Amino acid sequence: MRWVRPLAADLADPVGVIGAKAGGLVLLRRLGLPVPEGFVVTTAACRAFRRDGRPPAGLREELVAAVAGVEAATGRRLGGVPPLAVSVRSGAEVSMPGMMSTVLGLGLTTAATGALAAETGDPGFALDSRRRFLASSAAAGVAHLPDDAVEQLERAVGAVFASWDSPRARTYRTLHGIPHDLGTAVVVQAMVFGNRDDRSAGGVAFSRDPTTGEPGPFGEVVFRGQGDDAVAGAAATLPLDELRVREPGAWAELRGALERIEAHHRDACSVELTVESGALWFLQVRREGSGGAAAVRVATDLVDEGVIGRDEALLRLSARHLRDARVPRIAPGAEVDVLARGVGACPGVAVGRVATSADGAVRMAVEGPVVLVRPETSPLDVHGIGAAAGVVTARGGPAGHAAVVARSMGRPAVVGVAGLVVEDGVVRVGGRVVAEGALVGVDGGSGVVVLGRPPVVEAGDDDRLARVLGWADAVAGDARARPDVERLAAAHAVLRARAASAGR
Amino acid sequence: MMMTSESAVLHALRCIGSAEAGRVATAAGLAEADAESELIDLAVAGLVTHDRGPFGGWTITPAGKAADAARVAAELDAAGAREVVAGVYDRFLGLNQELLELCTAWQTRSVDGAIVPNDHADAAYDDRVLGLLDEFAPRADAVCAELAAVLPRFGRYATRLGGAVARVGAGERQYFVDDLEAYHTVWFQLHEDLLVTLGIPR
Repeated sequence: MRWVRPLAADLADPVGVIGAKAGGLVLLRRLGLPVPEGFVVTTAACRAFRRDGRPPAGLREELVAAVAGVEAATGRRLGGVPPLAVSVRSGAEVSMPGMMSTVLGLGLTTAATGALAAETGDPGFALDSRRRFLASSAAAGVAHLPDDAVEQLERAVGAVFASWDSPRARTYRTLHGIPHDLGTAVVVQAMVFGNRDDRSAGGVAFSRDPTTGEPGPFGEVVFRGQGDDAVAGAAATLPLDELRVREPGAWAELRGALERIEAHHRDACSVELTVESGALWFLQVRREGSGGAAAVRVATDLVDEGVIGRDEALLRLSARHLRDARVPRIAPGAEVDVLARGVGACPGVAVGRVATSADGAVRMAVEGPVVLVRPETSPLDVHGIGAAAGVVTARGGPAGHAAVVARSMGRPAVVGVAGLVVEDGVVRVGGRVVAEGALVGVDGGSGVVVLGRPPVVEAGDDDRLARVLGWADAVAGDARARPDVERLAAAHAVLRARAASAGR
Repeated sequence: MMMTSESAVLHALRCIGSAEAGRVATAAGLAEADAESELIDLAVAGLVTHDRGPFGGWTITPAGKAADAARVAAELDAAGAREVVAGVYDRFLGLNQELLELCTAWQTRSVDGAIVPNDHADAAYDDRVLGLLDEFAPRADAVCAELAAVLPRFGRYATRLGGAVARVGAGERQYFVDDLEAYHTVWFQLHEDLLVTLGIPR
């Protein structure tokens, strides 16, 4: 086939052709891990689509043939009985998280939804799946799809191709230096339903905690939900440990899988997963980067575990990791009373008394440090942010006005704290009431707000960082006192020169 | 319909937050001495108040907010501009998301998924972000021009945004996000102005 490849363990095309997501799924297949049946439409088809403004000749026939392959493997029929539903996801060579479109549950025509309800005896599940299909296709700009499954598929693939050129995706590529002409591949897979029943869930799992580097598995699950719910933060998620309690079989299989993937990459990794009626499936795998302190911990742990050598550990760390590792944070593993969690928007820790208005913050700041807690921020709050040591808001994301202003003033900030209400001089969150004047701590890196004064890890407290810098000095043969970044850069220069001369 | 200078000063303060007379004058398009004179009259009327201290300045009172809301609504209806402003506001929201992402890209970089401050050591990256701001600015100007065609006071935003982007281009990069007359600061006030003008709660 010219435009389509089955997701098989022996698929040898490079990620430039099949995209990083399909590349990861092929790897999972090779490692013998469970991946739903499916196929990938290549980036070449996307480039042809963008050039001509329509799907390339022959694509429709190849989609029909590839669907027939999935139907044969699953014993299901797209638009037939028993019904096959598929997911349609973007997957470029370079990951562009959240920038392009996804359609879930495609094939759930009116008739197929009825068949799914009859098959499972659960009309609520079938309707929920149909609702998710309609919502995701509307978001992808393919609302009012014809009630014909192959036609739906062709339109959805076209919508994902077109989303390569959405303004957000273009901006993202410009910022990250990704060429605009690469195009995206499209991964089409048989749906596995995390919303199937009480023994079903969607989630993400990390082999090591991405904020601390502590060995895992860590992550989040949503029972009776899809993996995208957890990734997008759309639903109330539970710690991944809940899976160990409720589905020990799937948990054990997940642990083994993360070990196998780590052994392959010799690095921390993450997976997107779905548990369907107790059976574990993988939808995506990534080598997992992490913030500075976590990256330093992962690198030193991998050396101690004998997985990588010191030179490789040094090469995996960058100046930015080291700078980030020096940013104060609430001590990992400390006993703290967590009041709320949101999104960290400006790294650093602030401790101060709660003020619920900008004028209050200005007034109270005369007596000592203040944390301004607001539902949202407007220009009327800016002088309060200036007076405060830290900021917490209920609404807004890491790219909201509040976050931008907090960063411009260097104030540690946590935004998007779900369920936080500010009224009459008190803050209500998570069933608790905190009065103005109460002492709280804000970690603008991890997004945690705690009651009281938390223990803070400051620059240089981290003995792992000291070890890494010691290795760097040994490689560079230079132990003079200098900034961290220069010590690492000197080691990198020696290691790269060594690699270059070995390669000659 | 033009607002009186008293109303213009009150409304400017409503949109920019706590400020000294100089910033109010810039936002309202008046001389500083005239703005200060109006502020004093407004204070006598109980519509604004002045605090000393490190984070003090002129601020609007609850009575001032109510008076401004009524004047702005009357101005909007007298100009028959509600439909135009509401239509422009929808487009503004799309631009708003784009600008906030540009500001975030300017302030931060992601290191393997974690947000860290942009240390501005990578000139090629910074130039890409500033290139996107240059592409953004004319589209923002078009929005201001449409608003100014029905409500002339919105013309001040085009002037101020244009001034900020020119200073960024001349190398004064604090006029992107960090200054009190920076591009984002003025844009944030334009956002507030649109919400106040249309009577939309934040």
